[in-house]
Amino acid sequence: MTYAAAAAVLPRSRSSHRVASVVAALLASLFLLFLFAPIVRLVVSGGAGGVTRLFTDSELRGALWLTAVTATSATLLGVLGGTPLAYLLARRAFRGRAVVAALIDLPLLIPHPVAGIALLLVLGRESAVGSALLQAGIRVAGSPVGIVCAMLFVSAPLYVSAAREAFARVDPRYEAVGRTLGDPAWRVFRRVTLPLSLRGLIAAGVVMWARAVSEFGAIVILTYNPKVVSVLSYDRFTGFGLHEALPVAAALTILALIPLTLLRALRPESGAGVAP
Amino acid sequence: MTAKPLASILAIVALVAGCGGNDAGSANRIVVFNAGSLAIPIRVALDSFAAREHVTIAQENAGSLETARKLTELGHVPDVIALADYEVFPHYLMPDQVEWYMDFARNRMVLAYTRQSRFADEITSDNWWKVVQRPGVQVGRSDPNLDPNGYRTLLTMQLAEKHYGVPALSDSLLAHAPDNNVRPKEADLVGLVQAGEMDYIWSYESLASAAGLKMVRLPAAIDLSSPADSAAYASVQVRVRGRTPGDSVTFRGQPIIYALSIPKRAPHMALAERFVAYLMSDEGKRLMRATGLDVLDAPIVVGSGVPDAVAAAASPTARADSGAQ
Repeated sequence: MTYAAAAAVLPRSRSSHRVASVVAALLASLFLLFLFAPIVRLVVSGGAGGVTRLFTDSELRGALWLTAVTATSATLLGVLGGTPLAYLLARRAFRGRAVVAALIDLPLLIPHPVAGIALLLVLGRESAVGSALLQAGIRVAGSPVGIVCAMLFVSAPLYVSAAREAFARVDPRYEAVGRTLGDPAWRVFRRVTLPLSLRGLIAAGVVMWARAVSEFGAIVILTYNPKVVSVLSYDRFTGFGLHEALPVAAALTILALIPLTLLRALRPESGAGVAP
Repeated sequence: MTAKPLASILAIVALVAGCGGNDAGSANRIVVFNAGSLAIPIRVALDSFAAREHVTIAQENAGSLETARKLTELGHVPDVIALADYEVFPHYLMPDQVEWYMDFARNRMVLAYTRQSRFADEITSDNWWKVVQRPGVQVGRSDPNLDPNGYRTLLTMQLAEKHYGVPALSDSLLAHAPDNNVRPKEADLVGLVQAGEMDYIWSYESLASAAGLKMVRLPAAIDLSSPADSAAYASVQVRVRGRTPGDSVTFRGQPIIYALSIPKRAPHMALAERFVAYLMSDEGKRLMRATGLDVLDAPIVVGSGVPDAVAAAASPTARADSGAQ
């Protein structure tokens, strides 16, 4: 039952409805103001400088490029590993599902420098995995690999929980129909589940990517050089002060808007779920 | 029903309004910003001071320059500021933020390591510069553009080249501590050497000792600890990033001196004065020394307008030539 339908059956006076709408609108405006005022202030203060520096500051361009590549790699890895997991959590009743579902959120809970240290213990050159990687010529700490690992760790849980919800919203009866038509499980997933959940999966991927771009605490433990934008803005702030950090932060904000808008636009906004 | 959301809005507004300017929020709180390498000595003294004065403490650890930026750029003003390099005071904080500073401790550069570090059994004060160049040895250092320890590392490498008379030793030592082994400040490296990611890190004696790390003591001629060697230290210099991009500053070698001050706009001035006096008392010195910090017997005050309580704890003398020029 939608909210509107529920509201309609409840006996309520017209004026109390109006007060409720005003209060809701007021709350929503305050909330939006809280979210957007800092960003608008940031872009107003540093926007022009940020755009200029895109042409003059090669270190900033390098950091933006590195951020885009590492955040995208982390997101692709998150989608690759997180999608099957999210599907299992949404569709299969297995022993310990509740435990796994709770554990998935754990990386969100851990302070990010702590996450960086934990990753170092598992992926550092003294660890089994780390020394094997080192044999293959890959050192996690101090390299882009470390950046991807840090981003993946802190942002993948967001993808998994959102993807799980997207799968859960698909009506199992459609999948059952597919199976009764003799399709193997994989084809049912590809032809029924995936198209029906795609919007939610893309939204989950966007959130994960955005979170990866913003990561600082875990990255700086693993890899300070080469610098991603979050590290560069910290470096500029510490080394030069606010007036040099603002353009870096503003440039990131402006550029990040492009993929975010494009991906949101890609999603078919059918209007489903919005009460008339 | 509708009264509830309204009440929550009012509550939120009140909360937001209450957040403004709460720096001086509690009269029973002392706020200290200090360099990362002072975290433990200051903390120990703070805990003891807080217990006797019945106050709570708020301590923020960060790089010395980052700490200075908190005052100049963010307008966050602590009661006491203590930095790993006294020069940050005249360069960044005087005269707007502070009018005086007090040199109160000294330190030395060391190579810190753990029992697990490669060649830990072999390294000595004599062969360290050969050991750190062996294949597979990872050496970490902090960012010379952000952290005094970072450029002091570069100065130490140059002094080592002179001291041992090995041509190009400085470049070679630097090549064995490459960019991807750099972290923002020296305190960030401690975890890396403990986790085995680095075998040796360039650090301070105080930090290595407080963190329980093993360390290679370097000859006094290169470890920047000895005021008597000021002239020799000043023979090397390093160029790092300046105050604006493209700009650069030159730092000459000089002894490592820690300094502290009370900002002009400290929210709890009286408490700050009592804390600094306590730091310089016999008990304060003893507590800090127990953590490995080399506290000066006679602190040196530079500048004017020193509070009486602080002046009484230290005996202000004219600053001896720092050897900076």
